[in-house]
Amino acid sequence: MSGRLRIARREIASLRREKTIVLAILIQLFIAAFSSFLLVGLVSMYAPGSVQGGGVTIGVTGEAGPDVIEEIGDADGGFELRAYDTREAAREAFADRTVDAVFVADRRDSGVVEVTVLVPDGSVRSTVIVVGVRDALQAYEHARRDALSAQLDRQPVDLPAVPDGSPTFTFTYTLLVPLLAALPAFISGSIAADTITEEVDAGTLSLLLVTPTTAAEIVDGKALATIGLAPIQAAAWLALLWANGTAIADPLAIVALVAALATILVALGIGLAVRFSTRESAQLLYSLLVLLVFGLATLLPESPPNTVAKLALGSAEGLTYALVAGYLLVAAVAFLVVRRTARRAITSG
Amino acid sequence: MTAPGPEGGDRGRAGELVRQARHALRIARWEALSGVGGLDRRTLLSALVAVLAIAGVGAAVAVAGTPQDANVYRVGVAHDSPYYEPVRQDPTLAVRDPDYDDFADRKLEVIITRETIQANDTRKGRAAAAEVKSAVRRYNERLMEAEAERGNETAAFPVSVDLRYVDRGGSGLGGTGDGSGGGDGDGDGGGDGGDGSSGSGGAGGDGRATDGGGFGLPSIGAETLFGSSGGRPSDIRPPFPFVSLVLAFAFVVPMNFVIQAYASSILGERTNRRGELTLIAPVSPATIVAGKTLPYFGAMIGIATLTALALGGGIVSVAAVVPIALLFLSAAFVGGLLARSHKELTFVLVTVSVSVTAYVFVPAVFTNVTPIAVISPLTMVVRDLEGVAVSAPTFLFSTVPMLVASGVLFYLGGGLYREEDLFARKPIPEKILDALAAPIRGPTSVGAVTVLLIPFVLLAELLAVAVLFVLPLSLSLPLLLSALATVEEVGKSVHVLAGFERARFDRSLRSAAVVGAASGTGFFIAEKVVVVGQVVGLEQLDAGRALQRTAGTGLGESASPIVLLGLLLAPLFLHVVTAVVSAVGASRGRRAYVLGLAGAVVVHTLYNLTVVITLVR
Repeated sequence: MSGRLRIARREIASLRREKTIVLAILIQLFIAAFSSFLLVGLVSMYAPGSVQGGGVTIGVTGEAGPDVIEEIGDADGGFELRAYDTREAAREAFADRTVDAVFVADRRDSGVVEVTVLVPDGSVRSTVIVVGVRDALQAYEHARRDALSAQLDRQPVDLPAVPDGSPTFTFTYTLLVPLLAALPAFISGSIAADTITEEVDAGTLSLLLVTPTTAAEIVDGKALATIGLAPIQAAAWLALLWANGTAIADPLAIVALVAALATILVALGIGLAVRFSTRESAQLLYSLLVLLVFGLATLLPESPPNTVAKLALGSAEGLTYALVAGYLLVAAVAFLVVRRTARRAITSG
Repeated sequence: MTAPGPEGGDRGRAGELVRQARHALRIARWEALSGVGGLDRRTLLSALVAVLAIAGVGAAVAVAGTPQDANVYRVGVAHDSPYYEPVRQDPTLAVRDPDYDDFADRKLEVIITRETIQANDTRKGRAAAAEVKSAVRRYNERLMEAEAERGNETAAFPVSVDLRYVDRGGSGLGGTGDGSGGGDGDGDGGGDGGDGSSGSGGAGGDGRATDGGGFGLPSIGAETLFGSSGGRPSDIRPPFPFVSLVLAFAFVVPMNFVIQAYASSILGERTNRRGELTLIAPVSPATIVAGKTLPYFGAMIGIATLTALALGGGIVSVAAVVPIALLFLSAAFVGGLLARSHKELTFVLVTVSVSVTAYVFVPAVFTNVTPIAVISPLTMVVRDLEGVAVSAPTFLFSTVPMLVASGVLFYLGGGLYREEDLFARKPIPEKILDALAAPIRGPTSVGAVTVLLIPFVLLAELLAVAVLFVLPLSLSLPLLLSALATVEEVGKSVHVLAGFERARFDRSLRSAAVVGAASGTGFFIAEKVVVVGQVVGLEQLDAGRALQRTAGTGLGESASPIVLLGLLLAPLFLHVVTAVVSAVGASRGRRAYVLGLAGAVVVHTLYNLTVVITLVR
């Protein structure tokens, strides 16, 4: 028993001595910071009004121009229309930036209104403008459809009168939280492989075996140290998210899931390390097999990220919890199998 | 350790060069075939099987995988509600019975009875309701699609759209009152572009990229999205080259695997003093490093070429990938020299992977939105895949800083390729100081190292611009200015600290002043050389303009000669002063260095703010 703990303590101590665990945390902080910056960027693009002065001014001209103004001139939305009598006047207003975009609306013989849209290119705001243009045109399309509804066999369903949501919410829970939960488990498996290969490389593994420590204790200790890191990191992340206003509905289940994933990946890492014994082989195969295992898991009724998302959001039901239990079971089996084979491989040298 | 002395004369030197090249090739062959980095046959076979299995599983996932946001919101909706079908068809929404008790217990986020829709008054409830709204929108599109197929084209899609991107010069943010900067007056060109009113549809790209002044960067999304003349309002997407971006990622992913093997091989030289044999051989460390790197570089470029062939990329794609490959390799090289153990190497490599990938990937996301995207070579790949021509200056702008940076990394890492460092287990910061102190002899060399560090300063600054430009200007500007100040001050002083720590100079006030002045001057000169950035239209961005303003390059034309001279010398004065401040700190030890650095950063930030405020207004 004490042999296990001693090995585990030795691994943790070497991580502490090298201070690389600081690097790991920095990496994750970097990813989190980056995602949030990216998030603000994407939000400012896709939900312009939410960030800064979203109002888009559109100059309207063409023979169907008055119709456009009449239908959607008073509509709410991130756009404001201005009528221009001639195309030249509209284009001039566009060139001197009085308007952000220009609609040239012409009627075709079929009854379709063709709108040629000019939007500015190559600026941060062009995305915002394009979104405003789309909203305006969709509103116009809606109004025209209403007018022509007699010709339709099936009518479109009315849009519910609710505000558009912020894309950040779903993004945070379905992408960021799963990513932050998966990363510690991935890193744990990777360093578990390292703990074996570096001992093989330095020749200290056989030295360790001459001591009263058994091969099983060595495997247990290394696994204990590396598996233990992942749930701690995940819990820290969840606490940080919670402090930042992202409430996590079921943190315990997520931490348990991370522990299960870490155990599976650590078993994989150790299994590969004892079989292939050089770092390059073990790491290469480890990354490939992680991809494979992850791909296979995606074929479950719920992919692991989906499970994390549901647990974080509080949408988890029976199946989700059953899957968490399943992961724990798989983790236990994987660990026992690897422990047996690893012990045999280590003892036989 | 050192190369054998040349026999003298040019012929001797040339012969020496050829001999070193031959040695490098021999090391490369050895490395590729049986070197420590070489993977054995069993591994390669297993890896091949794994790759094939991944391909198979990947195909299955594409068909049957559950997306990460599947069924995350539960909606209670009756079968006879008009909203039943829209909700059922949306993967994000799970259909439940409309039970008010469940709704009250928060087991349902949204409940729809007949025509009314209610959502929990929580963030989650609102997000769920918004998701229902977009589900209805998508459902309506599909419904109208079916109507159109039945012949009711006009009523189903009564509006058709032809979207044209027109360059009207400068940045769209120009509303904030900055007429002086970019290209004014090329609004005409924009007007012309829109003119071909009849023009063949899908020519969304006309009228831009042709104007001379403003360096109009063509945006690509439009062309692929509006291939046919009659688009629908719902087809309008903000320009976002999603597919090409994913494909471009395919170039970067394999590199992460290659550096694993490469760094392992470098570390392998160091553990158990294996590399001692090559070190006593009559070849220079540079030759050894070149030889060891060559096979991995070759493998990366080979994979990139195959990727390009498979994805329809051209020579531009492969050429743009070269600096990325070299940056990966040089960073992994330094990592392999710094790490003390396999575990540490793993952490270092994950850091390298994450930061290099972020650096090349994040700006490329904005390929169609803003010129800042060109700081990433991956943007060149995206453009190449989208079939857009890449001009030579743009290509150089996006690749040269990275090439130079990787060259410097190799050079600094090479300073560690000697017995004292190769086999010593020193902590990483100590080795970094070793590497930085290695080329330092006197004040002149301090200036030279400052110049060498400039590419990193540039990379970091461009990344800061890329990350911060999305924020509102009032927030991004002060953040950006202090970030730039911090990056520049660290770049000017970190090797000065190394010099003092490794006893290259005596710890006196006088030598601190001399060394600091040398570093500041070196920085000033290099910064003036890097005015290239201005040519590439970085100034279309307000944030980019701020970067240049602080560098003292974006001078207004109206200034008088005396003011101009003052403006030219002010940055020199600033750089010297702040570098001396941090050098004095460095001469008193590490804690004092942090204080000195902080002081320098504050002074620099204040200067930046003053310059930007007086010049932008």
